[in-house]
Amino acid sequence: MSDNQSRERVTRSYTRREVIQGAVGTGAALGLSPLLAACGGGSSSSSGGKAGGSITIGSFSDPAMVPFRDVFLKKFTAETGIQTKWHETNYNAWYQNSKTDGLQKTGAYDIYVMDDNWVPEYAAGGAIQSLSKLGLKVNPNILEKGLEQGYWPPKSGPRLKAFANATPELYALVIIDDVEILYYNKDYFPSAPKTWDDIAAVAKAKSQPPNLYGWTARGVAGNPIMQTYLPLLNSYGGNFANDDWSPGFAGPEGVAALERLFSFIPYMPAGVAAFDTSQETAVMLQGHCTAMTEYTGTAHVVDDPTQSKVVGKIDFAATPSQVKSGPAIGTFICGIASAAPNTEGAVKFLEWFTSDKVQHEFASGGSVAVTGPALRDPALAAKYRWLPACADAVDNSIPKPRTPDEPKMEDLLGTELNQALVEAISAKSGYTQIAQKHLTAAANQITAYLKQQGTY
Amino acid sequence: MTQTTAPVKQAWARRRVPGGPYLLLLPAAVAMAGVSLYPLFYGVRASVTHYLYGREFGYNGLTNYHIVWHDQFFWEAMRTTAKYVICAVTIETVLGLGLALLVSREIRFGGPIRVGLILPMTIAPVVVGVMWRLLYDSGIGVTDTIWGWFGAPPPNLLAHNTSAFVAVVVVDVWEWTPLIFLILLAGLQSLPQEPLEAARVDGAGRVRVFFDHTLPMMVPVLLVAITLRTIDAIGTFDQIYVLTQGGPGTSTRLISIYAYNTAFLDSQYGYAAAMLLSLLAMVMILMVVAVRMLRRSAS
Repeated sequence: MSDNQSRERVTRSYTRREVIQGAVGTGAALGLSPLLAACGGGSSSSSGGKAGGSITIGSFSDPAMVPFRDVFLKKFTAETGIQTKWHETNYNAWYQNSKTDGLQKTGAYDIYVMDDNWVPEYAAGGAIQSLSKLGLKVNPNILEKGLEQGYWPPKSGPRLKAFANATPELYALVIIDDVEILYYNKDYFPSAPKTWDDIAAVAKAKSQPPNLYGWTARGVAGNPIMQTYLPLLNSYGGNFANDDWSPGFAGPEGVAALERLFSFIPYMPAGVAAFDTSQETAVMLQGHCTAMTEYTGTAHVVDDPTQSKVVGKIDFAATPSQVKSGPAIGTFICGIASAAPNTEGAVKFLEWFTSDKVQHEFASGGSVAVTGPALRDPALAAKYRWLPACADAVDNSIPKPRTPDEPKMEDLLGTELNQALVEAISAKSGYTQIAQKHLTAAANQITAYLKQQGTY
Repeated sequence: MTQTTAPVKQAWARRRVPGGPYLLLLPAAVAMAGVSLYPLFYGVRASVTHYLYGREFGYNGLTNYHIVWHDQFFWEAMRTTAKYVICAVTIETVLGLGLALLVSREIRFGGPIRVGLILPMTIAPVVVGVMWRLLYDSGIGVTDTIWGWFGAPPPNLLAHNTSAFVAVVVVDVWEWTPLIFLILLAGLQSLPQEPLEAARVDGAGRVRVFFDHTLPMMVPVLLVAITLRTIDAIGTFDQIYVLTQGGPGTSTRLISIYAYNTAFLDSQYGYAAAMLLSLLAMVMILMVVAVRMLRRSAS
């Protein structure tokens, strides 16, 4: 290269077109780079750090956690001298934060408050420690079905191939037995409805949309509509996953369960396919609905006159049966981080919080405790009428498949369910075909996905 | 003294440090590599890695790309994204050009109107999503009220495939038409006036002047605006996630939403990276085509 050429290359000015072209190309690459980098989940490790006089607890925000956060952390500090630090954020953000923290072993947290379906992934991935190995003493009064959510591999039901012969260990301890229960308005039901037919009969007789609906539900694709469908599916004798991991919802039971949901369409709000918890419960709390199934979080507000127009009118029962009652369970559950700086303090906290004395105090504020004696205490039941219904629901509950791929399975089935509901609302007939088509599609998708994963 | 040092100073000034310009560029290049190339490299590495339970389980070659190629949901999301981008960018371009033509002339309150028009663009997309979610909400949203004035039942915009798709396109148009408007306004104001005046003197009407002179001269600016907006629209995430989360069904599930769910809900980091790299390749092809068109139109 000559000196002149070199100088020209260094000093020449760029045309506007060249600048624009460069900016466009760079913009495209820069725009996608962070997304790509974000996809690179890591697994580097670091040491856990020192034990100290405090524990750090992270959680997703939820009204059910308020007494835990505002009352019981202070009590723990007063009784044990161990300080507590609390961090909370929304559900999805916390799922990401806690998982990353556990896998990267940053040691930022001692305890993760989790949804119970996170346990397989966190335990199998090593994000949380085995409480069995840490020697945590389990209160024998904790309801068995709630306690089982913390085991990995699961004590019952299908297992991943890699964990087929492993001994189940407790990885997480339930702190709130959140479970689906039936909310019904006593103005329309003289006694607790036992079956879906009872619900349908009242819906048909009493519905006057838009002033009064016979049923309301969560219809958003994915996890929300799954919470609507699972109690129906379970009650009709179907399964989300069979013992060999094959889908158990595409047969006659699953179709009948979905058809039952479709049969409520004339008695549900027209926008139900876009409803999540807030819209669904608003219909109930405004007195515009005779019944719904929902988790226990809403139970606290039905008698709060600042939020509810149906104070004293709502009662609670186990979710309706067809061949059986099968409420879905979704406990709040605590795991100890793989790099927890104060493992000893974390174990002490979990043992303290699940002790009979503290659980009774917890239930005394209306919270859904995890021990049988607290939930079935007659004095507490008289004050908080949902507590015994919750205990019954936990005993009858059917857990979701215990696998790290459960969220993906939920997403696949939940998307088809939402699409089926949208179609059924538009078509107003042909429910059997719509249900069959979408459930079969979901079953095929889940089967293909699990096969591709190669761990089943 | 002065006479002897002046030539020395000039010699120093002329002296070239080997690779000097590159040395000066080095800090910027390092910064660029850190914030741009490293993530890109990391993404490429993740795309050929097998993840299980959120952890790396070793190199798995092109398996993730093979799965992407055969994933019906990936292609469905790509189709939805393409449909979304075409609808949104087309409407935004037409509206943006119309507004720019309107405001480029000296009109009363031109300044405040310009400020008002670009306001939506300054709001964070998440806030835009929340705002429109409230407007569309079937229980409390203003759309129900408006429909009610005409005696129609509540439209439940976000509960039907087509209306939900239209609803998210409307939000995009509302938020990003100002960007196109701004770019085109700047382009219009920098156009040479002589050809336009000459055409008018020759008796050409406004429409004729626009189609025969203004529009051809605006083509390069239009292409830049459309290209930038297209790149941005392909990555749309926030407002759709808040509004519909990709539903009903998969009717508004753009590739960004699908990739996010795959990476952060399903913990399939490698697969999501492969998906986004495939998207990057497609966007780059689009860019090459756009730049060629730009060159051709400019020449």
